[in-house]
Amino acid sequence: MKSLDVTKSALSNTLRSKLRTALTVIAIVIGAFTLTLTSGLGAGINQTVDRIFGGFGEDDAIYVVPQVEADAQEQDGPAEYDPDAGAEVDSGFGTGMLSAEDVETIEGLDHVVGVDTEVAAQIEYVEAPEGGQYQAQFDFALNDVLAEFAAGGAPDRSAMEITIPEDWLEIYGTDNPDEVLGETLIVAAPNAVGQTSDVEVEVVGVTQGTLAGVGFTPIPSVALAEEVADINAEGFEGQMPEAYIMASAEIENLEQNEEAVKEALADEGLWGLTVEDQIAMFEAVIDAITWILSGFALIALLAASFGIVNTLLMSVQERTREIGLMKALGMSRAKVFSLFSMEAVMIGIMGSVVGIGLGLATGFVTDGFLTAEDGPLGGFAELSLFGLDPLAIGGIFLLIILIAFLAGTLPAARAAKKDPIEALRYE
Amino acid sequence: MSTPVLETENLVKVYGRGPAQFHALKGLTFEIHRGESVAIVGKSGSGKSTLMHLLALLDEPTSGVVALDGRPVSKLKPKTVSALRNETFGFVFQQFFLNPNQTVLENVTLPLKIAGVSKSERDKRGMDALEQLKMADKAKNKATDLSGGQKQRVCIARALINNPEVLFADEPTGNLDSATSETVEDILLNLQRDHGITLVVVTHDEDLASKCQRRLIMQDGEIVDEQVGVKDSASHKAPVTAGHSGPATRRRRRILPFGKGAAR
Ligand SMILES: Nc1ncnc2c1ncn2[C@@H]1O[C@H](COP(=O)(O)OP(=O)(O)OP(=O)(O)O)[C@@H](O)[C@H]1O
Ligand SMILES: [Mg+2]
Repeated sequence: MKSLDVTKSALSNTLRSKLRTALTVIAIVIGAFTLTLTSGLGAGINQTVDRIFGGFGEDDAIYVVPQVEADAQEQDGPAEYDPDAGAEVDSGFGTGMLSAEDVETIEGLDHVVGVDTEVAAQIEYVEAPEGGQYQAQFDFALNDVLAEFAAGGAPDRSAMEITIPEDWLEIYGTDNPDEVLGETLIVAAPNAVGQTSDVEVEVVGVTQGTLAGVGFTPIPSVALAEEVADINAEGFEGQMPEAYIMASAEIENLEQNEEAVKEALADEGLWGLTVEDQIAMFEAVIDAITWILSGFALIALLAASFGIVNTLLMSVQERTREIGLMKALGMSRAKVFSLFSMEAVMIGIMGSVVGIGLGLATGFVTDGFLTAEDGPLGGFAELSLFGLDPLAIGGIFLLIILIAFLAGTLPAARAAKKDPIEALRYE
Repeated sequence: MSTPVLETENLVKVYGRGPAQFHALKGLTFEIHRGESVAIVGKSGSGKSTLMHLLALLDEPTSGVVALDGRPVSKLKPKTVSALRNETFGFVFQQFFLNPNQTVLENVTLPLKIAGVSKSERDKRGMDALEQLKMADKAKNKATDLSGGQKQRVCIARALINNPEVLFADEPTGNLDSATSETVEDILLNLQRDHGITLVVVTHDEDLASKCQRRLIMQDGEIVDEQVGVKDSASHKAPVTAGHSGPATRRRRRILPFGKGAAR
């Protein structure tokens, strides 16, 4: 019997009792549908992340923050006070801030070309030139590289410049982001005794919020953030220790020196992360969630595979005489086996094609609805919740066919084992 | 006579085990020659179908030998046996065994499909075979839509489709009225006469048996009598059953050492 004939016969046999086949297929469809949705969700979010961070491939900076105490969670009760140990703790350690010495250490490391620091800058309010004061908080100045711009670009780190989020356009009375470029914004910064000083800055960009949480608030230039921090420190009694939220170290030839710099940082009790590391961490979480959800879909498929076993066992029983006839007329065991396992594969193909098709349609339609400009998740730039990953879809298709085939082996082996005489006697 | 196409030696078939075991065949030794027509006759339960299944390689004997063209078949691989059944033998089963959900043509061409013949070639040969049995106009009908005699002819067409060397027919006229039986008998014997096919029929039908060149008469798992030569069916109405003394005109020959090697 030719393979083509085996396939055709298998197909027509599965279509013989349509209701029974349909019910078995539905179980597969549910599994395929769920698996397509979960993998599409993971792919969509990961593609969004790639797209957002993808533009910063040329970024050659390592972001440095203080290392979290490794055994902080494992401590049993409060640590005993040790007066000697306390003296050694430098000002930044444990506070989650980098000290001035830390920054010097970073500057002194091999391969480090320059260091930008992020200071904590407090503002009271901002004011538009036409009046109107608005409550506000700065984004990190060093996040400028991660921002998505509706118009303009990142502030010059050494100039008194700022970007504003898209929804702030209304304070300039416009919808067009290009119109606000070059406008002035007044930043009022408080000092230690509660007086405020104004700083005039130029708006050079309009940002869209990204999934990384960047661009929902104004991003100051590094110079502006430092200016505001200086104002904050005015009137502070005594010596205010210099502290930085994080530092961005520019590295020569990042690809080659990344590991060396990271190790050197770790030796100093500091933690270095590239943009790629941050993406990887984010994607690892997304992947973990995707796998857990896919696990549930696999359970559904497992249940469905028993449906295939059941359906085909019934079919083998019903067609005992037909099997006996085929064997009597010279069909080999192997062909009988392949005929029945092909039926299982057919059920698998039908279920996966319908399930994957429905899953993709549902995914894209729902994604389109949720992330449309005025949809519930429309505020995030470039967010897509559902993506097409051809490799994953192909994998799901093959996995389902494999499961179906395996489920079919038991009934197919039963059919192949039938003795032609016994089978022909069967009433 | 020509070389034996099928031979058996001390063929024994035991069904079941222990106290429930039943000796269906008790040591049969005989030959069937190429191009011959042989009828196996006997009472119900005498072991005719059992014997035919062994000859047709559908079942294996408990002991003894079946040889095809002088070669014992027990030495053949299952795959070779399947291929032999597909290419060398044709079967007409007592019950029709037609697939009700397939057309007449699909039923007839099933052996070719199993053999791996292409669809166009299958259909061409299928139509030829149906033509031969005057069933071409029913080719596209469902097998269930046919009368008993038509079904029987479809079964014969299916048995002939692969140009078999040996045609086995178990009660080919069992379900038919006398007129239709006559037609089917003629078809089978014409095939044997005109195409040199070896014909092995199991039958209760005395008329059909008498038209065969040789009759093996079975009783309780043994061949008790063998009759040679076509009988003039019109002049003779005695039942073809074993053991009883037949009319004196019958030529009787006991050539087989039956019973000797039987596993009783
Ligand atoms: N699978 C089996 N298990 C047990 N006994 C069997 C089996 N097949 C056949 N027999 C027995 O073997 C004997 C011969 O059976 P067989 O079918 O060969 O008879 P037969 O001569 O063809 O009869 P009929 O003319 O009624 O078809 C019967 O007594 C039957 O009960
Ligand atoms: Mg019988």
